[in-house]
Amino acid sequence: MIEAVGSRTRGLRPRRAEAVGAASALRRLDWFLVGAVVALLAYGLWAIRGITAHDITGNADYYLLRQGVYAAVGCLGAVALVFVDPDVYRRHTRGIFVGTVSIMLLVLLVGTVSRASKRWLDIGFFRFQPSEFGKLLFVLFLAGFLADRARRLGETRTVVEAIALACIPILLVFVQPDIGTAMVYAAALGAVLFVAGVRWTHLAALGAGLLIVILLVLWLLPAAGVHVLKGYQAQRLTGFTHPDSDPAGATYNVAQARNAVGAGGVRGRGVAGATQTKLNFLPEHATDFAFASLAEQRGFVGVSVLLLLYLLVVWRGLKVVAIARDAFSAIVAGGIVFAFLFQVFVNVGMNIGVAPVTGIPLPFVSVGGSALIANLLAIGVLLSIRIRGAARPKAYR
Amino acid sequence: MASSGARSGRNGSGRFLPPDPRVETPYRFTPQLALRIGILGAVALLAFGVLFFRLWALQVLSGPQYLRAALDNQLRSVRIEAPRGQILDDKGRPLVTNTPGTAIELHPADLPKTWAAEQAELQRLSKIVHVPVLQMLRGIAERKGDPVTPVVVREDIKRIAPVNYLYEHEQEFPGVSITNTYLRSYPDGDLAAQLLGYVNEISPQQLKVLKRKGYTAGDKLGQSGVEGTYDFYLRGHDGLAQLRVDSLGRPRSPLVTKRQPVQGESVKLTIDADLQRAAENAIRYGISLAYQNHKWQADGGSIVALDPRTGAIRAMASYPTYNPAVYSGHVTMKKLAAQGLTGTTAKAKNYPALDRATSGVYPAGSTFKPVTALAALETGVLASPSTILPCTGSYTVQSQFAGGKPQVFHNVDPFIDEPMTLPTALGVSCDTWFYQLGYDFYTQPPSAGHPLQAWAAKFGFGRKTGVDVGPESSGLLPTPEWRKRTFTAKTDPSNWRIDREWKPGDSIQLAIGQKDLLVTPLQMARFYALLANNGRLVRPYLVEEAQEGGGNPHSPPRIVKTFSPMAPQSVGLDPTYLAAVQDGLWQATHSTNGTATGVFGNFPIPIAGKTGTAQKVPSSDQYDQSWWCGYGPYGETQPPQLVVCALIENGGFGAEAAAPAALKVFQQFFKQRLAPSTTTTTTTTTGTTR
Repeated sequence: MIEAVGSRTRGLRPRRAEAVGAASALRRLDWFLVGAVVALLAYGLWAIRGITAHDITGNADYYLLRQGVYAAVGCLGAVALVFVDPDVYRRHTRGIFVGTVSIMLLVLLVGTVSRASKRWLDIGFFRFQPSEFGKLLFVLFLAGFLADRARRLGETRTVVEAIALACIPILLVFVQPDIGTAMVYAAALGAVLFVAGVRWTHLAALGAGLLIVILLVLWLLPAAGVHVLKGYQAQRLTGFTHPDSDPAGATYNVAQARNAVGAGGVRGRGVAGATQTKLNFLPEHATDFAFASLAEQRGFVGVSVLLLLYLLVVWRGLKVVAIARDAFSAIVAGGIVFAFLFQVFVNVGMNIGVAPVTGIPLPFVSVGGSALIANLLAIGVLLSIRIRGAARPKAYR
Repeated sequence: MASSGARSGRNGSGRFLPPDPRVETPYRFTPQLALRIGILGAVALLAFGVLFFRLWALQVLSGPQYLRAALDNQLRSVRIEAPRGQILDDKGRPLVTNTPGTAIELHPADLPKTWAAEQAELQRLSKIVHVPVLQMLRGIAERKGDPVTPVVVREDIKRIAPVNYLYEHEQEFPGVSITNTYLRSYPDGDLAAQLLGYVNEISPQQLKVLKRKGYTAGDKLGQSGVEGTYDFYLRGHDGLAQLRVDSLGRPRSPLVTKRQPVQGESVKLTIDADLQRAAENAIRYGISLAYQNHKWQADGGSIVALDPRTGAIRAMASYPTYNPAVYSGHVTMKKLAAQGLTGTTAKAKNYPALDRATSGVYPAGSTFKPVTALAALETGVLASPSTILPCTGSYTVQSQFAGGKPQVFHNVDPFIDEPMTLPTALGVSCDTWFYQLGYDFYTQPPSAGHPLQAWAAKFGFGRKTGVDVGPESSGLLPTPEWRKRTFTAKTDPSNWRIDREWKPGDSIQLAIGQKDLLVTPLQMARFYALLANNGRLVRPYLVEEAQEGGGNPHSPPRIVKTFSPMAPQSVGLDPTYLAAVQDGLWQATHSTNGTATGVFGNFPIPIAGKTGTAQKVPSSDQYDQSWWCGYGPYGETQPPQLVVCALIENGGFGAEAAAPAALKVFQQFFKQRLAPSTTTTTTTTTGTTR
């Protein structure tokens, strides 16, 4: 009764990557998840069509077509990744880490400046935002790091090392400055640690530490005169609780978004009647505040459909975590799902006034090629994990 | 799914062999992992629950409220400025009216949202319209809570080049609009400038006080004169219009008027524009006469003409004056300085903004003598109007202190030595005759109070007249108590022990209206009105009624409010004493030695009045204030109709400058009577057109 059946042995003999046949892949695919993602894509495209209908006079489909192209590219990428064994990522943990950090540095050094932040790399015909892809890469190398130290997860040292490793890309994103994406990375870090099995005490300590940092940055340090965040950043983070405090200034976005969402009512105002969007009272209505725009146009019914689709994706994703083949896959799946959930919650929350305003796009809806493709690739990795996992969670005996 | 570590095989873990570090344990779905995934799932459910809840609250429960907010977003309310009421003279001729102008306005809500872009736009705008950016920013800051009222950057009567430029480049200046506005216009130029006052945008300090009365930032407020005091009637009610705009403030629908503006009510004054013009010219004439007499210091003056029966002011002129149109439209410090209206330039131009009729204080001089006379008669200091007293060249008072020098007070005419009664003394204006009265007042026992000052106070000196358009000075009526109060160790360290005492000289000089006494021309006119209407004190007033603004040009305007004058109050003078003083005034203008006979002696209308030549205190510069106050017609069956009080600053003798000036006013007033009799039998004055 060698327990090592089916398990990977180190140093004894090299492992052959399992080849997965197309037929078996199709059989073991989670059609629910696939269906949810396809529906989400379609719904997002339809929503964007309505949201951006009046942005360019004479060309109502401009953004729709662009998003469509990105969606197609993303889908192809996702399909390709389904066939990639997750082990590939695990073997190249270090490479992925180095690649991620160097791309971040590249952005900081030669990135295109837009609205006082450097987030984009211009490569001729396409501007892409590396930090979006970085979310996936971040989860991948962290999962690899933790999976390699599976048995030492109880030690403080492992946790500290993991966090230290993660902080590098987080800081690189933070100084772009892009607080929102940095928050997503931090959330992914938390999820990865959580799923990897870090001890509860360590997690509690981390949580406390995070709370202290937030208090410091937002209240105590500024009171002492040290300002970590720029004024407008701090105001955006705390202003969401009082949207009417400065309706013409800092909380303008929040107040307008709230008005747009509320004005949607149950059925929405339709594309032509959505004045907040159409007359440009709602800023960033195609990106950060796409949800509010959708809410105005399609009402409670419309956004409920969207949220249910997201919920479906999250649910199926958690299922993937449960039936993952090995620790690495489980951690990757957990990180991807939680990052997805976090993005949805913060973006929707910021549109309706329960979360601070950050620059996080709404997955599958916001106009933006990098985010869309990155999300689809992540789904591809998720599916890849799914089909290599068990049919149902195997109980430990 | 951590490694389980070493556990004995017995506890259900199923381990048979100790763990081999080279072998990884297979991944199994442990209860711990299940718990963690469960927690994640719960978090997800909680998160979505929060979102759904909030959406439900926002969209389903509060949907209509936010829908209204969204609709309000695009609704821009615009104030429609109401034209200000006119100011009319007693015949309904407009003295102040409105003229259309163009205003360049900012709508703060439609300016660029980012600070940098807003600044850039304001800089560009500032270069074009020549208004400092700071001024615009201040205006924007004042409008913080009021999105309806725009900030007026600049308004002009003529269409200036920047306006055309802005029209052409409308797209480049979001939030800037050009509207029609009303600006004050003065058909008669600088007539009655101080009296009428001017209009300017309300200042933050004024707004703080007037907010409760319904004023908002950006309102025009009358700052002085009639404009200021009757602003409530003149301002009217602004209207409201609405239109739909996009987020840049560009109109997306036509302007719909929701509330019509209501023109301000017109205010009708008691002033006769022709008489006012005559009075203002008369001052200039008086000054030119002063120059002819080598009184080169004559540089100002004031004439008040009022109706002694009611107190209605028919003319109130003050010189130097300014052109009130300088406040209309684009006001610049340069323009104001040129008119002498700024702090630094006012002195050089001899304070044109000062209304000398109400706020200019001067020693009264001999025009005060009737007061002394009446007080002396009423208190018995002078036994009767026919009491004879000597008029000598000088009057000597022995010193109160033993061994002190006697004080000598001189008469204007040092060679005279003649006994005379009161009317004659008034007629020739003998100072020494009144010095005696003054000294007698001084020797009154303390129990008598201060009878001279008491009667003077009854006649309205030392206090405001209560005229309805301020501000007003109360002048100064000196009393021993006043002396003690004013001259203390702190205020007069070198001489206070002496100065604080009321000395004989004080009473003596007060008797002829000199030394500390200070009066305004309006107070003098009021006193002479009392003499004219047989001992009744009137309250002077300027505004007769408020009429409905706008209205039908073919029908007489509806009267909104009539300001009834206060009934003249009798002060309790004995009619014989009054008659003696009136006779004295008649003597002054018609007797052989009357001080002003040369001026009024041949005037067809009988005029009575008193000259005055007042020395300024301290008299280091011996410039005499030229006074003349009187009334007419005198001695006719109908009561006198007009009191005129003229003052020429530094003009010399009263008869030389002020009296001829006053005559000019009478000539205008009695024009109809004086005209050669080719007129018809009607004696009513028809409304003359300008």
